[in-house]
Order: sequence, then structure tokens, then C-alpha cells
Amino acid sequence: MSSLEKKLLELTNLEIGIVKPGRKTLVLVNQANFQVDYGQMVGIVGESGSGKTMVCRAIIGTLQRRGVSIIGGQVLFEGEDLSQINEARWKVLRGKVIGYVPQSALAGPNPVLTVAKQLAEALEQIEGTESIKSRSKEMLDLVKIRRIDTVMKQYPYQLSGGMRQRVMIACALASKPKLLIADEPTTGLDVTVQSQIMELLKEIRRDLGTAIILISHDLALVDEVCDKIVVMHAGATVEVGTTEDLSRPRHPYTIALNSSRIDIAKPGGELITIKGNPPSVGQWMQGCRFAERCDYKDTDCSVGEQPPLFGDKDKHQTACLHADKIVRA
Amino acid sequence: MGKGNLLMDVKNVSVTFGTGASAVEAVKNCSIKVHEGEPIGIVGESGSGKSTLARAMAGLQQPSAGEILFRGESIFKGNKSYQNGNRNQVQMVFQDPYGSLNPQLTGLSAVAESVRIHKKVGRDESEENALKLLQRMGISKIDALKKPRQLSGGQRQRVSVARALSASPSLLLADEPTSAIDQSAQAQLLKLFHGLLDDNFSIVLVSHDLGVIRYLTKRVYVMKDGVFVESGDTESVFNDPQEDYTKLLLASIPGELGKAARAKLARS
Repeated sequence: MSSLEKKLLELTNLEIGIVKPGRKTLVLVNQANFQVDYGQMVGIVGESGSGKTMVCRAIIGTLQRRGVSIIGGQVLFEGEDLSQINEARWKVLRGKVIGYVPQSALAGPNPVLTVAKQLAEALEQIEGTESIKSRSKEMLDLVKIRRIDTVMKQYPYQLSGGMRQRVMIACALASKPKLLIADEPTTGLDVTVQSQIMELLKEIRRDLGTAIILISHDLALVDEVCDKIVVMHAGATVEVGTTEDLSRPRHPYTIALNSSRIDIAKPGGELITIKGNPPSVGQWMQGCRFAERCDYKDTDCSVGEQPPLFGDKDKHQTACLHADKIVRA
Repeated sequence: MGKGNLLMDVKNVSVTFGTGASAVEAVKNCSIKVHEGEPIGIVGESGSGKSTLARAMAGLQQPSAGEILFRGESIFKGNKSYQNGNRNQVQMVFQDPYGSLNPQLTGLSAVAESVRIHKKVGRDESEENALKLLQRMGISKIDALKKPRQLSGGQRQRVSVARALSASPSLLLADEPTSAIDQSAQAQLLKLFHGLLDDNFSIVLVSHDLGVIRYLTKRVYVMKDGVFVESGDTESVFNDPQEDYTKLLLASIPGELGKAARAKLARS
């Protein structure tokens, strides 16, 4: 396949902000750059508030509901710029071509609808009414729910957290989307359930060929299931590369994030934490937004704009002026 | 850091909810000994009864059988708990820092309130003490004057910890303190907990995350359906788990820790 054919989604200098007349525009995300190929599993990691969820909302077209909008850059999905399309077009794409699994598994499903009704709602958009029941069962089978007939009649409160998240994934997959966005799908779930959900996502990718964007703050998790990792800090992508590339991180933020991993730490031993807190929105400093927290900071780091991602698009990219120096050190 | 005096002795405790046919035995005949300077981990899936047990240890839930001794004295007298001036000795940090902090109070006033109650000091002194505690937890004076909604998840959790510590407890019960916060905030909190450990203080950490348990605790109890299925030194449980359930839990951890366990599981 040529590089043009395999590219499903491409974000170029995406800028998201809150625009209010008579007020200064508050920029939440700028310089978000990465691409997703067909059937690829991409992880987005970063601290809370780094803009991971905002980027996803831009891809699923739900920013406007919160008074936020895309103020610059491009989101190309199969060659179509999602920042330019209208609501009618979104109705065709959202939830159908691009699926979404929300963060809160426990609050995700509608509490007053049975699982059957819930799935029917998702399926009605695409199927004739006769086939809904059998298709629903098929979907529940796909996400490995047992006792399907019982579960169909149950309400979300009667299901465990893991089951609820499976139902949400089934709804998102109902229309066989080309891209599935899972926003911290396992937060609040047990490790055992988490590993089952991750297995499920891997299978979905393998069997249906769905590209998946997995958002998480857990580098260990993303490292294990994704082909590619996008690291975000203060509204910008600071490092992008394959999982293999990212095992030798070049951005000081990724390096720091890596060393705060509990799974590698010695019991009671040194646990390196990232200095300070992420800069708040609207209080980004000049130059690199990580500079204040960085051990490798130099004088040229606090000048001008946030550094762009250096390197070729298909390769390991790092938004650090001194990446070469750091890697050698 | 050696093993100190026996702090808490949980003897054959059971907790039952409801009566008759609908009765659910959430905790069944569990025993734990907590010594000074020996942090304990309780691990299990949701619904295994670990939080219920922690709540019983905090005196928030009366056991239906068995007894809980704190420094040799039963913590429950009638339907009241910690009546003999021991209330400050055992403090709890909850999973959801947003739900456990008063949204109307700044971090400083939340902690100062607790200082006033436990230390019986005046307003100025309590605020001074509270600020010192918060700063020890890495909360700056500016952030201390913010309300919970203005703080990040990790900061909120550190405020809750400061509030718990303001009573100068000798035992801290932490119920899933890291599960609602992100990775770097989690590392920060664990480092803090580790720094608190000394010969007169202990922590009981309840979590489903074995990585967290391994980092902080010396002894671990693995709980399933209200029963301890395995217990022992944390290192030996990790290196040589005996029960299938423990092996499954270990294999579920993402990253390097789980990888080794999964390899072992595949070999057997």
C-alpha cells in the first residue's frame, strides 16, 4: 500500500480553543500533530489536562457542545477535513464511521434503558428493524458477553463495570466503524477486567480491522497494546513514534513519564516524579511548555513558540530542541 | 525499619449485610495483624470485600462476628467505635477525593478544621499547623487556598491525606487512594506515603493495583469473595504466588510486572 492509501486520519497543527466575543481566545490545544493508519492501534498518553480528550472530541465532532471549537489546523479523515464539515455531515460520520467509547464505564449507558433498547438505538440508525434483535445478539457475542438473553433484558445497574463497558463497546461497534476512539476505557475498573477489555480491543482490531485510538494516562498499558504512541503535554504533541521507538524516549517529558512507572520501580525504591504541575491552560509560558519542569533546560528553551515535532512524519518525532544532546547523555 | 508493636489485631472478623435469605456475607472470617512500621496491603477485585474490611477497621462498619483490637482494646463499644480517645489514632483516606472533601471549604480550612477538633487548638494555630502539613504534602500556599474543584485530582488526594494526618494517627487506612489519579500524581503520592513510614506509624493500603501494593507494602493479603485466599510477605507473594487467583491478578497488571507473571502462567 502506498502511504496515501494507508492513512486514515491525520491531524496537522490542530488548534482548539474557547472563543468568546469581546474576550481573549483561550487556547486549549495547539500543535497537535499525528496520524493514524487503517487498522492501527494508537495510544495517546499525557497527564490530566494535557488535551487528550479535547483532541478526541475534535475527531468525533462534539467540541461545540461545550462551547469549544477548532480554531486552526486540519483534521483529515479519509481526506475530508473534519474541522470544516457541518452537522448534517457529522450525523453520517459520528457514531457510525467513527465510534466512541466514553471514559466513565459506569455512567456511560443510559440508566433507564435495557441493554437491548440501548443496542437497538445504535443499530436503528443503520439496520432495518427486523434484523435488530439478531444483530444485537451478534454484537454482544462479539464483545464476549455470556448469558446474552438475560443480559439483553437487564438495566445497566444490574451489570458489573466490566459488563457495562462491554455493552458500550458493542454500541460503538454496531455500525462497524473504521475508527474507534476509546477514552480511558478502563479507568475505575479492576486490573483483571482491564486486561480483558484490552484483549477485546486487540481482537476487534485484528478481526474487524478497526483502527483504535486508546487514550490513557498509563504508559505501561499503552506500551503493551498499541503499535504507536502519541505523547501530549500542555496541549501539544511532544513525541510521536512506534511503541518500539518510544522504548527509547527522546523527549524529557516522556523520559520523566517513563521513570514514574510503578511497574518498573523497585519496591520502596526511587520513584522519580515529574517536577511541579502541568502548566494551566491560559498560562503557558514562552517557548517549550515543559521547560520549567525539565532537567535538561537550556537558555533557548524559553524563547519563542512551543517547538514543533522534528523528524519525518512516518518516523520517530520529538518536539525537543535538545533531543540529540539528551539521547547522547 | 523493624517490625514494631502490634497496632491492630483483626480477629476472625465477618461482616454481613441484610438479614435472612437476602443476607450477604461481604467479609468472612478474616484476620490481620498490623504492626508499627509494617505497611500492609489488601488486594482484590471490586466486590471482594476489601473496602468493607477497611471500613470495619476504621470503625465505620460494625462486624457481625469477631473483634478488632487497637493496641489491645476492642474498637467497638456497644454501637460506638473508638470511644477511649483513640479516634485520632486511626484515620482513613478514601478513593474519591472529590467526594470526601467539602466542596465549600478550601484545602486549608478543611485541614484546619480537623486540626482544631483533634488538637483542641485555636483558629490561628490550627491554620498554621494545617499549612505546614499541606506544604509537606507538596501543596503550596496558593493552592491551599483553593477549593477542591480548582485543584487537580492528585492535589485533592494530597489534601485528603494531609487532613487524615492532621490527627497524628499511628495507622492510616488508604482505600484505593491512587485509582482516581493519573500516573505521575500516583507516583508522587506513593513517594509521599513511603516517606511517612516510620517505626511508630503504619499504613493499610487497599487496592486492586498490585503494582502500587508491591511498591509500598511489606505484607499482602489477597482477598476474593470475602475470604483471604493468600497472604504473606509482599515479595514472596509476587515472586512465588501459590493460588491461581493471585497468579491471575499478577498476570493482569499492565507492563513489565505483568509480563513476567504472564510468561510464568503460560509455561505452567
